[in-house]
Amino acid sequence: MTKLLQWLLAVSLIGIAWGLVTFDLLDLHLLPQYKELAWPMPVYLLVVFGCYSLATVGYRVATFNDCEDAAKELQAQIKEAKEDLRKKGLKM
Amino acid sequence: MATGADQAVGFGLVGFSLLLFTYYSIWVVVLPFVDSDHVIHSYFLPREYSVILPGIAALILLLFVGTFIGIVTWKNRKPKKVD
Repeated sequence: MTKLLQWLLAVSLIGIAWGLVTFDLLDLHLLPQYKELAWPMPVYLLVVFGCYSLATVGYRVATFNDCEDAAKELQAQIKEAKEDLRKKGLKM
Repeated sequence: MATGADQAVGFGLVGFSLLLFTYYSIWVVVLPFVDSDHVIHSYFLPREYSVILPGIAALILLLFVGTFIGIVTWKNRKPKKVD
């Protein structure tokens, strides 16, 4: 099963469950509170996902680190390569 | 390391999203179970706005993303025509 099919299956299952509860297709005689809770659920899930994404981006921005060891290593390698090339007669 | 401004912006984003999540969760999940004459209802808009406002926000966001992509592609295409 591809990822696309998995996602489509999950989304359609959630959609069916939402439709059953919201339009009361099974005559469950739910309390009106639960219906009130159910009908904005898709938008609510979307907003929760947006909040999570925003928080993740914010957290990564706040704890962004630069790799100083890697930078030193890379600069040393560049120096090495330049000297090597100069030895072989390349003018820079 | 992230600079002070980066950290301020980042934790500001985290705080804003947590605040939004809390407020919206209370609005959508908790409020149906609270009596409709309770004082807490005066701090929230009527229930239908809990869908309308995110819808408007999503429309504005899509509009901005669309204009941004449009401007970027338009700017990137122009120099090629000059060459």
